[in-house]
Order: sequence, then structure tokens, then C-alpha cells
Amino acid sequence: MPLDAKPGMDFKVIGTRPVRPDGIDKVTGRARFGADFNMPGQLTGRVLRSPHAHARVKSIDVSQALKLQGVKAVVTRDDFNADAVDPALMDVLVNVMARDKVLYEGHAVAAVAAVDAPTARQALKLIKVDYEILPHVTDVEEAMKPSAPVLHADMFTDGVEPRPTKASNIASRVEFGHGDVEAGFQQADVIVEREFRTEAAHQGYIEPHAVVASMGADGYAEMWCCTQGHFMVRNISAHLNGVDVSKLRVTASEIGGGFGGKTTVFLEPVALALSRKANRPVKLVMTRDEVFRASGPTSSSYVKVKIGAKKDGTITGAYAELAYQGGAFRGSPVDMGAMCTYACYDLKNVQVVGYDVVVNRPKQAAYRAPGAPQAAFGVESVIDELAQKLGMDPIDLRLKNAARDGTKSSYGPTFGPNGLIQTLEAAKNHPNYKVKLGPHQGRGVAVGFWFNFGGQTAVSMNVNIDGSIALAVGTPDIGGSRASMGLMAAEELGIAYDKVRTIVADTASLGFNDVTEGSRVTFSSGLATVQAARDAIKKMCGRAAQMWGIPEDAVEWKDGHAHPAGANAGNFPPMSLADIAKDAGNTGGPIAGHCEVNAEGAGISFATHLVDVEVDPQTGRTQVLRYTVIQDAGKAIHPTYVEGQYQGGAAQGVGWALNEEYIYGKDGRLQNAGFLDYRIPVCSDLPMIDTVIIEVPNPGHPYGVRGVGETGIVPPLGAVGNAVSHACGHRMTVVPMSPPRSLKAIKG
Amino acid sequence: MARACIRFLRNGEPVTLTDVPPMQTLLDYLRLTQRKTGTKEGCNEGDCGACTVALGSIRNGALVYEPVNACIQLMGQLDGKEIITVEDLDGNHPVQTALVKHHASQCGFCTPGFVMSLFTLHEKAAKQTRAGVNEYLAGNLCRCTGYRPIVDAALEALNTPPAPRDAAALAALQDAQDIFIGDDESFIASPASLDSLAEIYESFPDATLVAGATDVGLWITKQMRTLPRLIFLNRVRELQALHDGPDGLEIGAGVTYEQAEEAFSALHPDMARLLWRIGSKQVRASGTIGGNIANGSPIGDTPPALIALGATIELRKGSHTRRLKLEDFFIAYGKQDRQPGEFVSRIFVPKINAKASFHAYKISKRFDQDISAVCGAFHFAADGPRIAFGGMAATPKRARKTEAALAQGLEAALAALAEDFTPLSDMRASAEYRLETARALLKKALMERDGLALTQTRVLAAREVVL
Ligand SMILES: Cc1cc2nc3c(=O)[nH]c(=O)nc-3n(C[C@H](O)[C@H](O)[C@H](O)COP(=O)(O)OP(=O)(O)OC[C@H]3O[C@@H](n4cnc5c(N)ncnc54)[C@H](O)[C@@H]3O)c2cc1C
Ligand code: FES
Ligand code: FES
Repeated sequence: MPLDAKPGMDFKVIGTRPVRPDGIDKVTGRARFGADFNMPGQLTGRVLRSPHAHARVKSIDVSQALKLQGVKAVVTRDDFNADAVDPALMDVLVNVMARDKVLYEGHAVAAVAAVDAPTARQALKLIKVDYEILPHVTDVEEAMKPSAPVLHADMFTDGVEPRPTKASNIASRVEFGHGDVEAGFQQADVIVEREFRTEAAHQGYIEPHAVVASMGADGYAEMWCCTQGHFMVRNISAHLNGVDVSKLRVTASEIGGGFGGKTTVFLEPVALALSRKANRPVKLVMTRDEVFRASGPTSSSYVKVKIGAKKDGTITGAYAELAYQGGAFRGSPVDMGAMCTYACYDLKNVQVVGYDVVVNRPKQAAYRAPGAPQAAFGVESVIDELAQKLGMDPIDLRLKNAARDGTKSSYGPTFGPNGLIQTLEAAKNHPNYKVKLGPHQGRGVAVGFWFNFGGQTAVSMNVNIDGSIALAVGTPDIGGSRASMGLMAAEELGIAYDKVRTIVADTASLGFNDVTEGSRVTFSSGLATVQAARDAIKKMCGRAAQMWGIPEDAVEWKDGHAHPAGANAGNFPPMSLADIAKDAGNTGGPIAGHCEVNAEGAGISFATHLVDVEVDPQTGRTQVLRYTVIQDAGKAIHPTYVEGQYQGGAAQGVGWALNEEYIYGKDGRLQNAGFLDYRIPVCSDLPMIDTVIIEVPNPGHPYGVRGVGETGIVPPLGAVGNAVSHACGHRMTVVPMSPPRSLKAIKG
Repeated sequence: MARACIRFLRNGEPVTLTDVPPMQTLLDYLRLTQRKTGTKEGCNEGDCGACTVALGSIRNGALVYEPVNACIQLMGQLDGKEIITVEDLDGNHPVQTALVKHHASQCGFCTPGFVMSLFTLHEKAAKQTRAGVNEYLAGNLCRCTGYRPIVDAALEALNTPPAPRDAAALAALQDAQDIFIGDDESFIASPASLDSLAEIYESFPDATLVAGATDVGLWITKQMRTLPRLIFLNRVRELQALHDGPDGLEIGAGVTYEQAEEAFSALHPDMARLLWRIGSKQVRASGTIGGNIANGSPIGDTPPALIALGATIELRKGSHTRRLKLEDFFIAYGKQDRQPGEFVSRIFVPKINAKASFHAYKISKRFDQDISAVCGAFHFAADGPRIAFGGMAATPKRARKTEAALAQGLEAALAALAEDFTPLSDMRASAEYRLETARALLKKALMERDGLALTQTRVLAAREVVL
């Protein structure tokens, strides 16, 4: 079946804004999230975590804890067989339960399951861990110095020739680009070069990680958890515990936010191990403190940017150097950051070098467009400064150099149709770009890019006896994707939206699905939904043909009905989906559509953001006055949810730009592990964020959809940085631009 | 005879509990005991508002609902109250309908908390501006939406009047009986009068007094402290009294921030604004002025202002009562002039002279729901200036050298600030930032006193500049 994006396609259901399947449940408290699930006989688990940033674990004595009345199981590193673990998952294992060393404050060293929380907490106190404290390093630049304490004795920087012989904290070096940057800089009339730094931010989902695991004596297990990917949870938890993947069934609860932070496992394998040992269901829920200390925030970074341009604004050369710490393990998103660095620009000479660095901090996890915002902060700031130096409007400078259809990107591929130019033009014409600014106010512009992912996807669509549809997808719904799937199914089948019920099925009910990440769901599960609908339609046409006694290819599907088509088809009245469904039992049995696909062709997505701020000259506090997000959605299936993604990304970006940061003490311990001190924006910190949806269809999706979830967090650091810089009259180079930092900038 | 149970209404239905673990929170009661999981736990320390429930009280004969954080509300605080949770609304409440219509849930984890905050706002039946809604919701975090659809929904819901409610059932639960559940080792006591309080606290001087529990709640949920003997202050009649006399305000130690706000606004608008910036609506509905003083925190927001205003406090132990200047109460970090078994009963705040002026400012990284880096209060009275700061020393402290230096002019006073204070650097602010903003506040206060250039100084900037 061809995947035919038809520009200007006439949609009936798509583009409307119905209430989503879980709309009412969310306002009545009926929706069940991770910690809302309970099982009979369930035990409460707690995790013992390292108080040290870096230490050797000499011994762990759990004997006293086991003697405590009410304690049913204790697990430590000895309960996981590292020898049987796939080397690719070794870091995941070491992160969920420390082995020879603890690598960050909050690293798990043991876990207990007990009859209630107080008993479990008391048991933790009875576990004796003998640590040999080692020197630590939490700062990315410090960690790169030859004198820094080395976390992993077997880490020799990848990607450098010849391979280093001395272990270091630099896990790898990556490089992207083309042309000759030095030659490019020679041609430039103006060159701006600057260094930038960003602190780590946390995804800050309001729902802490939670799981209930239950393994029976027969070795079959069930799990219920809040995750962005229950298939991933199943595969990893089963593997780390040496259990057959098929013996573990995982159900994804409603999920209270993830933003990338729930694309990996923390508690799940441990809960399974506890349940196996205790032979009872075990529930593990993180405290907020644990979420901050022991789940994955994003990378802190060092970014150096150098861009040269001619007087007319043409960029002749662009260079960047990025160093991102990924926490205690390799795998910071520096590679993606490096790929995104200059993706918004059409450049002849470009080079980006990235370093993946380890430090004594929790293993970073994806956070909305992982790696891109940090690099974009540097690049968009330098572009802004270039515009100032050239006396050009910052949007015009970007328009002059913007990537287009056919641009060879700095990371290799040649871009297809995309909406960057349209977002820039819309920004230029937006009324918010024309408002006059007052004293101490500043305006910032920035653009951003994200790849968007596709990936493995399976959906199943059952046509029920009354003509209603049960659609099972395998990608947890974080922001209303069930509604979008329902809309696409209804559109393709030609029926009403409320005839489709979309659910997120458990891991035993569908083929493997990749995690809800990379803005892939509306694209991939949507594509699979459309294909499954076409599969069901083909079958329904077959049934109609059979009932009419005509060849299958003489039936066509239109507006929810089978129609006889073609010269010899005969003159039958159209048969509705419900009519066909009613008779399914007599015409060959149940009707269902399926699609199992590795979705490709996720369209890239660009955005332009505009922001106005006012900076208080006496305290350095910044207030955001207006914020406008303009982004290409390809096709907005449910426009409200697209706007929701735009606003959410911008809101998180504003928080990161102005206030959110991980603050470490000299002892390597996190000082602000709570929402009062790690302060995410509240209502009064944000303006009512304006949005504009641009639609340049993605040829890779039947309806033209592009992912929209992540791009929105890429421009804010740069946009806010530029605005604050103009308001203060001083170039801001450190994120977050908290009041003390801005005040310093103002005072010079 | 003390009563050995607590009684409250659960959405209109009476509930009596005789077996109440002293440290049990309302959230644990709901989620673990009742298995009512609609109310969410996002932080368990009063910061996120996901656990917000509506707490109904009888005040001056009328039924009022306030949002509170169930995670740091202890069961012992609930006697004589009504609790309404998200599961008690039928799905068709105007607030719920509007939230659904405006697609105000993305992940929806924050939604039950927003529903209940907005429920209490809706019950007030007052018109609201967007800025007013923003302020009301500052204690509810949403990480997904950027708040716009939530605020839109709120404004729409407020167009529908609240359903009439009958206060009788709740009024019937109000009584003057002391409550005692447990034994000498472990108990909940909730005395109904000052005398009963004085008596029981003298008998158990190592018991923990609980006023609003916005600190004590965290000792339990975050610090995991064991507090087996709890004496609750919220039913002590005299401690809830607020008297606006000719010489000044007499505030019972149990008066909440929320209740004090109105009285203080008559005293001075800056004082009311300061209260308005403490924590969130939820924190202000529970936290008390007495608790803010008694906890002795160097960054509590009311003490500097009260010191500058010349407040005195009344302390009581057994039948003995004494009065003390508030500034003398704070001796050193973690140390106050308070004996075992002694408690704060009243705060006296003199009226300021018509010719005097008063200014108070709070500097924090963000406007709402944030702890002060610096809090400064300035009282320019006929008999000389009284200046006090929070966040600048180990206690809330008067800037005596600065006060004296003012006679020699601004520069001398600015220099003297560094003699009065050697602030610390911590994650909220550096020592330099503290000193620098303290100086900016002093300048601002002086300019304001002299009626100068107010527009150039904006440390009290509006929450939202553009609507
Ligand atoms: C989310 C959040 C935000 C906050 N924001 C702010 C803020 O912006 N500004 C600020 O100043 N504070 C803030 N706080 C701290 C807190 O609200 C205050 O310290 C509050 O005043 C404590 O009052 P309470 O009635 O809740 O006291 P409780 O927690 O009940 O008690 C505090 C202490 O005082 C003792 N105590 C209480 N009453 C008396 C009495 N009458 N006599 C003797 N001892 C007594 C208690 O035994 C305990 O030691 C915040 C707290 C939270 C959770
Ligand atoms: S759970 Fe966060 S305020 Fe109560
Ligand atoms: S909708 Fe997810 S936190 Fe508000």
C-alpha cells in the first residue's frame, strides 16, 4: 500500500479537536498512574543509595536487615549475574545496582522488600556498607583534565587515532562537518567566537518513578509501571534477571510525564529481583529526592562556537566544540548535540567536534531533543551577536543562511521538504515581533532543529461486531497520542472519532514497540495505524466482495463504506463498516487490521521562537513578557495537542534558561534535590505562550505528520539568552541566567 | 474528659477515627488506608500541589474551603474540618468540565491537584483576573502544559456560580473538648483551650507542637524523623484570635498567613504583600505566624518585618506568661529564648505612626513559591529607623550599625551593612549577591520613603507584566 502524503488533502476528522479517551479520567482521579496500582499481598520496597559521590564498595552486610521482623527480601549486586549480561546492557545493570564502586551520590547499592514502608526504611539502616571513599569530580571541564580522578580504569577515548593508552573520563570523540572551516574563516569579514556553559536540568516530570512487580513460583511475572516504553522495560528487566522475555508481561500505566526521563529503567529490574526473592508482589516508588539524585537529568555542558560571515551576512565558516557529561557512564547525547549544532543552517564550511565525558553524577537520561538545546544556546547566541555586529535583523541573518529543501546538512544527509523558512517568515510577520520594548526589556530570536525518530512499531486494530473499533498501540501515551491515533484511524476508515477506542496494550498483546521517544509516536504509531486501517479495509472489501459475489478488486472503500466499483461490479448499495462487521462471523471470522513496521521517513522539524523579557536591574530577576513558538508540524492531527507540545517545550526551556540547575557541593552531593530548590516554572513565571503551527507535509507519512514533541525545547535557551543579553547590554554565556548571574552581568 | 477520636467530614459524610497513628499524613490516609489513589503524590514535601485537597472550615460561622497539601497535612489537624478530594467531585463540576474542554491535562498527573485548587477558588464565587488565577495556582506545578490551557479553563469555570452549601453539618462538629488519642509514649493531643495546651505541654515538654505542619510535616516526610507525641495547636481557640486594637494588632500564634493577610494589609500594604509571597496558597492556608517565628529559621519571611515593626511576643509555660521583644527571641542559629514546655501564644504588632513609613521586600529567584535569598524590612519612625534582615545572618537580625549610620547619610549606611552582616554563600545566593541586594533594598526603601523615582526600582515587580 503506498504511503501517499497528499498536500492539500481534504480531511474530515483530522485537524479537529475532540476530547481524548482519557480526558475525563484525568480530571476525576480515575486515571491510574504508576503508584496507583496495588496487588494483594504486596510488599513495599526501598532502595539504599550511596551517600558518596565516588567510593569503592568493599563489602555489604545485609544480615541484620534480614533479621528484622517484616523484611521479606534484600537484594544487592550479588543477586544479578553480571557474567550473563549483554555487554551493551552492562552500564544499565551497574546503574540500577552498583557493583565494585558507587559512581555518584544516590547510586543504588541494595534494596529491601518489607511489609510496610517504615519497616523497609528501618531495614535500610541495618544494612552495613563498607565504603572506601575515592576522589570525585562532578564538573565536565574538570573531568577532562589529565589530573582528574578517573571513574573507569578501562575507559580509553574512542574516536581518537591512535587510541590513547591512558584511561580518562573522555569516553569518545565525535566529529561532523564538511568543507574547510579555516578557509571559511579567511573569507569572513566578521568572526565571533565565544564559550558557553549550561548546567544540568532535570526533566522534572511530576510523577516519580513507580513499579509493581510480581513473579510467581513458576517464574512467570507481571509488571505494572510508568514508563515511556514498556517493551524496553520488559526486555531489559527480563534480561538482567535471566528471565525469558516472554515470561514477563509489562503493562504501562498512565504516565505522569517523562520527557525522555522514563526511556530507561531504574527500579524495574530491582523490583523484579525483589519479587522473585520474596515470592510476593513488590512495589517500588521513588521519592522526589531520589528522582533528583538517582534518575537521569540531562547533561551539563561546555560549548565553544566560532562563526564567520561576510558583510552581507553569508556565513563562510562555522566551528563548534562541545563537551557534555553523561553522568557516571558513557552515552551523553553529545553526538546528537553535535549533529544538531548547525542543522538549521546551509553551510559550505562547517565542523563540529564533540566529547562524551563521564563525571560523578547520575547517568544522564534523554530530555526532550537530548543534546540539542545546549549546542543551540551557543550557536544561536553567536548568530545573534553576528547580527548585531553586521547591523542586520536577526531573522534576516537567519533567513539568509537557513537550511532548505535540498540543503546538505552539517551531519551528512540532504534535507527534504521542511518548514524552517516558513517559520522564520511567520516570526518576522508576527505581531509579537513588532511590539515596542520598554527600558530594561530585550527581545530574543532563536531557531531549533530536531531529527525526529521512527522505529519499530506494531499496532492491532479489531473491527468489532457493532462496527466500533478497538485500536491497540504499544507506545505509552504521554500527551494525548491515543486521541491522535483515534483520529487517524477514523479518518482512514471513514467513521466517526468516537467509534474508535485506542488503548495502550501490554507487552504480551502486541509485537515489539520502541519507546515513546524522539517525537516518534504520532509519526510511527500513526503510520502503523493508517496501515493497519488499510489492512482492515482490504479485508472488509474482501468480505463485501464475497457477500456480493464479485471479485475483490471490484470493491472500493469510500467514506466508511464498501462500494462496488468498475465496469462489471454490479449495482449494489454501499455496505457500511458496521454492516460488514455484523456479518463477520458468517463471512470468514473476525476482522482485524495489523501493522508491524520499522517506520522510516520521520520528517525533520524546525522551529523559530520569539521572546521578550524584562530584567530587573537591581536584582537581576528576569520576567518573560511574551513568548511565541512557531514550528512546522507537517500535519497537525489534533492541533491542540500540537500546541500543547509547543507550549510545554518552550515552558521547560524557559525554566532551564532562567532558573533550573543542578547545584553540587564540594562534597559531590546534590544540594537542591527538591522542587522548592530545584524550582521549575509555576504559572506566574510564564506568559501565556503563543503558538503558530506551520504545515509543510512530511512525504514519509501518509498524512504528512512530523514529530512535534521535542523541537520546542531547542530554541529557548538561545532565544531567552539573546533577549536577556539585549536587556542587560551584556552577552549572557551561562545557563541558567538566574538572578545572581544576570545581576553580575548588569553590573559588569 | 478528653475525646479519644477525631471527627471530620469527608465530602459531607461524617467520619470518626479512634486509631490514628500520630505521624500519619492525610495523603497516606487517602492513598494507603482508603486506597483512594485519585489524589497524587508528586513530592511529599509541599512543593508540587499534586496532592491538593480542599479543606473546609467554619470561620465566623461561615463555611470556607482552602486548598491544602495533603502530603504535609497531618491527620491530627483534621478534627472539625471537611475534606473534599478529586474523587468526591462527580466529573461534571464546572472546573472539571472546563479543564476537559480546554485540554488542560497533557499527562494529567498534576490535574487532580489543579482540580482541587480551582474548586476552592470556584467556591469563593469571586471574579478573577488572569493574574489572580496565576497567583492562586502558584502552588501547583505542571511540567507539561506551560499552564495556558489550565488558566483558560479556570477563567471559564469561574463564570459558573458555585452550588449552595450547607454549613450545618460541619458546624455541628465544632466543640470545645480536648482530644487525646494514644498513651504517654505516643499520642495525638489537640487541646481546645490555652489552659489545656499549657497544661499538657508542661507535662510533655518533649512533645512536638504542630501548628500548620508546613515545617513539621517535612520533618516526617522528608527527614524521616520519628515524632511520637504530637500536640496540635489548630483547635486552641485563643491561638486563632486576631484582634485589631487601637494600639496595634494582637495575633494569636495559630493564625495562618492567609488569615493574617487581610489584617496586615490594614497595617501596611508591604506587610500584606510579603505574606502574599510566602510559599503558595496551600502553604499560606496552613502555615502560621507563630510557626514562622517559633521555628527560628534565619530565612523565615515574617520575622524581619515584625522586628522592624517593633513586635513583641507573648510566651507561656504552665500558668506563667512573659513578653519579649521579638528581636530578643532569636539568640543564635537554631536557638531561641524558649524554655521546655513554653510556647508562643501571641504576637503584638504596634501600629505605625502616621508620619512613619514601612517597607518590606523579599528577594528570591522566582516570584512565587520560593524561599528568600534576602528579606529586608525598613521602618522609618520618628524615634529613629528600625531595619531588619532575613537571610543575612544566622537569625533574623536587626541592622543596628546601619540604623546608626543612616544619620551620616546613605553611603555610610550602605557601608555599615557590611559591618552588620557577613552573609553566607549557599545554593540560593552568594554572599556578594546577598550584600548587594540588601544594599539595593536599603536604597529602594529610602527612595520610597522620600517619594522618589519609584518606577526605577522594581524589586516588587508585578507577577505578570503583560496580560
Ligand atoms: C512549599 C513550602 C514553601 C514555603 N515557603 C516559605 C516562604 O516563602 N517563607 C517562609 O518564611 N517560609 C516558608 N515555608 C516554611 C514554613 O511555611 C514556615 O516556616 C511556617 O511558618 C511554619 O509554620 P507552621 O504553622 O506550618 O509551623 P509547624 O510546621 O507546625 O511548626 C514549625 C515549628 O514551630 C513550632 N511551633 C509552631 N507553633 C508554635 C508555637 N505557637 N509555639 C512554639 N512553637 C511552635 C513547631 O513545634 C515546629 O518546631 C515554606 C514551606 C513549604 C513547605
Ligand atoms: S505531593 Fe507535592 S505537594 Fe504534596
Ligand atoms: S499535565 Fe503533566 S504535569 Fe500537568
